[in-house]
Amino acid sequence: MMRLAVRNLFQNRMRLLISVGGVALALMLILSLDAIVSWIEQRVAAYIEASGADVWVSQEGVRNLHMASSSLPADRVDEVAAVPGVESVTPILYVTNVVAMGEERAIAYIIGLPEGAQAGGPWNLVAGEVDPGPEGAVIDQGIAEKSGIGLGDHVEILGRAFEVVGLSGGTSTFTNSIAFIRGQDFSDLRANPGVVSFVLVRVEGGASATEVATRIEAEVEGVTAQTREAFAAQERQVVRDMSTDLLTIMNSVGFLIGLAVMGLTVYTSTLLRRGEHGVLKALGAQNRDLYLSVGLQALVSVGLGLAVGLAFTLLLGAVVPRLVSNLGLRVSLPSVGKAAIASVVFAVAAALLPIRQIHRLDPAMVFRGK
Amino acid sequence: MLVAHRNLTKEKTRLALSIGGVALAIMLVLILDGFQVGMYQQITSYLEHSPGSVVVAQDGVSNLLGATSLLPPGATSRVQEIEGVAKAVPILSQFVILDLHGKKQPAYLVGYSPELGGGPWEIVEGRQPRTDEEMVFDRVLARRHEIGVGDEVKVIDRTYRIVGLSSGTTSWMTSFFFLRKSAVEDLFRAPGATSFLLVEVQEGKSSEAVRDRISGLQGVEALLKSAMEANDSRLFARFFSAPVRLMAGIAFLIGVLVVGLVIYTATVERQREYGVLKALGARNRVLYGVVVVQAFWAALAGAALGILLAQGARLAIMSARPQFLIILEADMAGRAIVIGLGMGLLAALAPARAVAGLAPAEVFRR
Repeated sequence: MMRLAVRNLFQNRMRLLISVGGVALALMLILSLDAIVSWIEQRVAAYIEASGADVWVSQEGVRNLHMASSSLPADRVDEVAAVPGVESVTPILYVTNVVAMGEERAIAYIIGLPEGAQAGGPWNLVAGEVDPGPEGAVIDQGIAEKSGIGLGDHVEILGRAFEVVGLSGGTSTFTNSIAFIRGQDFSDLRANPGVVSFVLVRVEGGASATEVATRIEAEVEGVTAQTREAFAAQERQVVRDMSTDLLTIMNSVGFLIGLAVMGLTVYTSTLLRRGEHGVLKALGAQNRDLYLSVGLQALVSVGLGLAVGLAFTLLLGAVVPRLVSNLGLRVSLPSVGKAAIASVVFAVAAALLPIRQIHRLDPAMVFRGK
Repeated sequence: MLVAHRNLTKEKTRLALSIGGVALAIMLVLILDGFQVGMYQQITSYLEHSPGSVVVAQDGVSNLLGATSLLPPGATSRVQEIEGVAKAVPILSQFVILDLHGKKQPAYLVGYSPELGGGPWEIVEGRQPRTDEEMVFDRVLARRHEIGVGDEVKVIDRTYRIVGLSSGTTSWMTSFFFLRKSAVEDLFRAPGATSFLLVEVQEGKSSEAVRDRISGLQGVEALLKSAMEANDSRLFARFFSAPVRLMAGIAFLIGVLVVGLVIYTATVERQREYGVLKALGARNRVLYGVVVVQAFWAALAGAALGILLAQGARLAIMSARPQFLIILEADMAGRAIVIGLGMGLLAALAPARAVAGLAPAEVFRR
């Protein structure tokens, strides 16, 4: 029966191609959206993870960077530095603003760094200087390339012209890039002196970041201190919480389409093989043998569909970032698991559909030439 | 035509599955389109309802939601003095992340002066904030988190009491909520700060001329409100159009495959009949016609059902998740039919090949 199922399946290559393609595309709907969200989740915390800080200190209650604002009185910097276990502190200024390059305008995190910053600067310098220096800026290489900007050119940040002194890699996300300027320039332009956004803390060798964060919160008033990992997790949670409903809707549609495609495939295939099934029945095959044959075909089809869908999603993951600078795909294991479960449901549901047809099949029909 | 009709309708379950498959694909394309249109409407809703026709931002900032704007000190009074300006309404605004019942909820905070305007345009319950400890919250967001007038919400390190619920201030991505401007200055430790000025132009004066005059001031950027709305839409389109196009493209291919599978199976099943037709002198053109007519009707019926399904899904989604606004416009139905027919035509390619390659003698060998 297994051989019969496989032979039936592979005999008509065009139909197999269409059915596997249909299932693969339906699963791609589930896999690719999951992969986009997973990529955004990963990239949204890139700056935090690469900052070099063990603990991030913010205004009390601020647990995010993206779409958030934090304002700390500057004297908190020294208070944090005095906490046991703190090796160095780097106060940074932060705002989401635009980098204007000629007619092009790109949304960016503008980071104001102090001179000799121990953390929070560009982590993957592609060209030029790491330290922006006075009236200098380090901007994302991809964004610069897109606008034809290079080292020595000028860009406008916070309404003032800055010379591009460095180009950094890995500093572009789904929504924005990151631009680094001197903290002094930043506060001059924002007219809000005496305030910093975050304090980036490096802990002494051997000290626990979690313990230092707890100590900072206990000893310094009006701050929230989180380890780098905890802060990055909060950032990823924003993306997850925002996309949950959207993912549910898209996954449901993908699931329904997959069901329809697979149901259609198995049903039409059974329909075409009516004569053959009649012969088998006439030769003494039981209904359950035929069910098994149909079920196996459905299972092999969705298995192939899953493999093709996964392969195409991985391919998209390789191609899309080359075509769209702010988009990528990251296929995660739980997402593949979800698609695999959906595939099994497709196969089972599809195999159930022609049961009535097989059950009603009259073995004598084969002799009537039907 | 008769052969095509008979082939297509012989197996009712197969026909239903194929129409259903196309309909689901069309529904997905329409819902994605409608979602994008709804999103643009939601994100420009604040500007649409805010006072004035010119918006003044920090130099270099050309949209409301994309970047944080901070005007140079004294900008409000300098703008007020410009010829043609009737009123300049200051607001201090910024995205914040609210932690509501363990969920991260991005929201756009607008600090405004109730006596000047720039706040909620439709309060469905309660009133405007009278003190710095009061807020107007978005009605949909409040309902999702089961909070209402009289409840307290923590924003960064302060707590505010809801005194009003606003309508039309929600979107799936972010909702608007409102505090007094002085409260926001305090929250952001930025006394006297202003993000944007919403400028009303004197009667009979040209908004463009006022915009140009304001642009001459140092450190500010003046835009027509309509231009800023367009910039916000463009910004969000840049983020979301690529994933939406990708999903819609996949849905289209699914539709093509579904119709293709049905017509192909129907064609292969009737191969002998096609052979007889060929042996009787029917040209390939006639047989192509039979195949295309089947694909056409399957796709058309699928597209029509898809439009109905999209309408149903739209209502179901918006009722279950009111933060989503899905707008289906009349021209979308036309586009869905064109897309459906496109699916049908592409889907007819494989069966047409099967028919073309058929030898008329085939039928006599069996």
